[in-house]
Amino acid sequence: MACESQKTSSPYENAVAQLKQACDYLGFSDDVFKYLSKPMRIVEVNCPVLMDNGSIEMFEGFRVLHNNVRGPGKGGIRYSPNVDMDEVMALAMWMTWKCAVVDLPYGGSKGGIKCDPSKMSAKEIERLTRRFTSSIINVIGPDIDIPAPDMNTDAQTMAYMFDTYSMGIGKTTPGVVTGKPVEIGGSLGRTQATGRGISYILREFARREQLNLPEQKVVIQGFGNVGSWTAKTLFDWGAKVIGVSDVTGGYYNPDGLDIDGLLDHVKARSTLDGWTGAGDPVDNEHLLQLDCDFLLPCAMENQITRDNASLLQCKRVIEGANGPTTPEADAILEERGIDVIPDILANAGGVTCSYFEWVQDLQSQFWDLEQVNKELERIMLAAFDAVYTMKHEKNISYRLATYLIAVNRIAKAVEYRGVGS
Amino acid sequence: MERLRITCDLLGVNEGIFRFLSKPQRTVITNFPVKMDSESIEMFEGYRVLHSNVLGPAKGGVQFTPTCSVAEMQALAMVMTLKTSLIGLPMGGSKGGVKVEPKRLSKRELELLTRQYTRSIFNVIGPDQDIPGPDLNVNEQVMAWMMDQYSTGIGKTTPGVVTGKPVEIGGTLGREQAVGWGLAYILKEYMEKEAEEIRDQKIVIQGIGHVGKNVAITASRYGAKIIGISDSTTGLYDEDGININDVLQWKQENGSLRDYPRANPISNDEMLTLKCDALLPCATDSVITKDNADKVQCRVIIEGANQPTTLDADRIIDERGISLIPDIIANAGGVTASYFEWIQDLSSLHWDIDRVNRELGKIILTAFEKIVQMKRENAVSYRQAAHMVAVKRLATAIQYRGFYP
Repeated sequence: MACESQKTSSPYENAVAQLKQACDYLGFSDDVFKYLSKPMRIVEVNCPVLMDNGSIEMFEGFRVLHNNVRGPGKGGIRYSPNVDMDEVMALAMWMTWKCAVVDLPYGGSKGGIKCDPSKMSAKEIERLTRRFTSSIINVIGPDIDIPAPDMNTDAQTMAYMFDTYSMGIGKTTPGVVTGKPVEIGGSLGRTQATGRGISYILREFARREQLNLPEQKVVIQGFGNVGSWTAKTLFDWGAKVIGVSDVTGGYYNPDGLDIDGLLDHVKARSTLDGWTGAGDPVDNEHLLQLDCDFLLPCAMENQITRDNASLLQCKRVIEGANGPTTPEADAILEERGIDVIPDILANAGGVTCSYFEWVQDLQSQFWDLEQVNKELERIMLAAFDAVYTMKHEKNISYRLATYLIAVNRIAKAVEYRGVGS
Repeated sequence: MERLRITCDLLGVNEGIFRFLSKPQRTVITNFPVKMDSESIEMFEGYRVLHSNVLGPAKGGVQFTPTCSVAEMQALAMVMTLKTSLIGLPMGGSKGGVKVEPKRLSKRELELLTRQYTRSIFNVIGPDQDIPGPDLNVNEQVMAWMMDQYSTGIGKTTPGVVTGKPVEIGGTLGREQAVGWGLAYILKEYMEKEAEEIRDQKIVIQGIGHVGKNVAITASRYGAKIIGISDSTTGLYDEDGININDVLQWKQENGSLRDYPRANPISNDEMLTLKCDALLPCATDSVITKDNADKVQCRVIIEGANQPTTLDADRIIDERGISLIPDIIANAGGVTASYFEWIQDLSSLHWDIDRVNRELGKIILTAFEKIVQMKRENAVSYRQAAHMVAVKRLATAIQYRGFYP
């Protein structure tokens, strides 16, 4: 339904096309493009795992380092039957841009294991995680490439990876992965970080455009980690969150929803379904079309498509999810004068907090939540400032401006370090 | 892969071990830039596949070829695992390469490419991890650059990271001769077992490169009669035996065997079907095919080259009751010399050439004896027996080590 016409180009081809556009715009030599369009290293491992029934199954795992010119690679590890190399390569590249946009001293990477964790026991998943970690032990490390949780992996997965790596090299090394439980080197503020990052961006955008935050009507699709913390933060700051949704559907109240009430409801019932407070039910399709100042798609990719882009009644979009807007929809929104703050800037709060976790692990000194939030705000605002300035200087979209900032920073590093000799 | 399946079934190896051995443990693909003489950047794709390190750090060549691919590297890495296992080395198997036509590179570009490739696989090679050696289009100069790049990167001179280096910087003596010597050891052993002695046995050798040349020299020293030998230009034939030293001198002076006056010229194809005791294809792959396999007139084929016998031909040769000693053991002298180079580098103590030759004989003959026994016990071909010896050792090691975690 979302994007039949996109099927012809793979995620990796899309990522390369975006890079090409940025390189052309910046007038870079073909050399920079050629260099950045390929992942530096692809590692594919086959892991034998003892299953609970006594048999040995083989699992295929990947770790792709797109580029490390600005620092060690950073990117998630996903467990899914659909993990494929093309997608992992594209995601690794996006991580390079994302880390550069928020100016973290990182390159980009991504990895995953082809498996169906819903069909595996906790023990099997643990054994798989440990074997995979051992298999890639030479290509990860706090100064090489630092995994984090992603689809179907969590703090427990990261704890196993941290433990296996540490036992393997003979020293406790919490900085090898991020997203660990706080008790073993994780950072405070992690769950909130992406949502807070989005909120900082929205607030700063409003300030620069001289919009009064309490008057801003915000619609948020998705009420998971990202959506709910964005809603909560903006609600606390006095903005009017007029619509929220999750997989079961959503609620709409033009005067603003009671977000604290909704959070309590979700805590008790696990979904938004059955909310009886003020507000009318609305399905996800219509939620996206509500009249509002900011539409925040925080659920999943390909939500704003050529089919609904012309129906949106928002003034701007801030992409909380990864890739919620298809390239065609993006073009339609641009024509309609609707600004889109792109994912690699808007949701970079997550990787920024991962960076904080790594910094705290390296220095073996841990921050309180206040410091995490303060540093997060500083980083998000600096990134927004760079993009905002670029956008207005060149009179281009936020998305292109964001890519230009990222690619420019990387190209500078390539130039200083030298390439190919 | 089919061979592995059959071998595991014959040995009764459990399914988990088969599954484990059927996949390469780690495949690394890299993209790296090289600044060409034109000042522009070109991107190259490099590979390093570690098939298994169950028995020790992996060992396998590096090739620079335009046709190099992941799938090919994965297949060749597995062959290396079987080969090192078969001859009892404390090493696993690997393979690597760069997709490039080295002929179109300048020397400076070739050096840069080698250094950039080495940087790109830096984390996955090392004397206790994976040890490259030379393969197609790669010579000792390339290995020297790899050694230098690795050593510079890690901050210590580490000759054991690659083998096939020049002798002056940690290479071993006897490297050029090793495959030929190994082949000659097997030839002699086989003849002494089957024909009581090697003296006056009629030998035909295709190829007179390092392999053909050294097996010819050694075999004639043993008293065998080399009745046929060839290079790419022509074959030579003399029923009473060819004087190898004379032929080699002619080749050195004239560049090829063409017009050598003291033997009869013969085509390469005719030479393969000469009536003889032992036929040693030491030139290229796929020379014994379904077209000539039924015309071959020897008692034993000993494969000096890699895969000189096609699958079809292998079946015909087997049906005709001709013994075939497969490449995996016959030309294992090369990797054995690499192993010697590595242990000399690790111990920083270098051997004289006699010791290399002696140790080589021990290793090759021990392995050959195991194959002969396995063949006898199971009534299978030498090729099948060789695979069984290799897989059996691997399976036992896996059993002992278990599946971590």
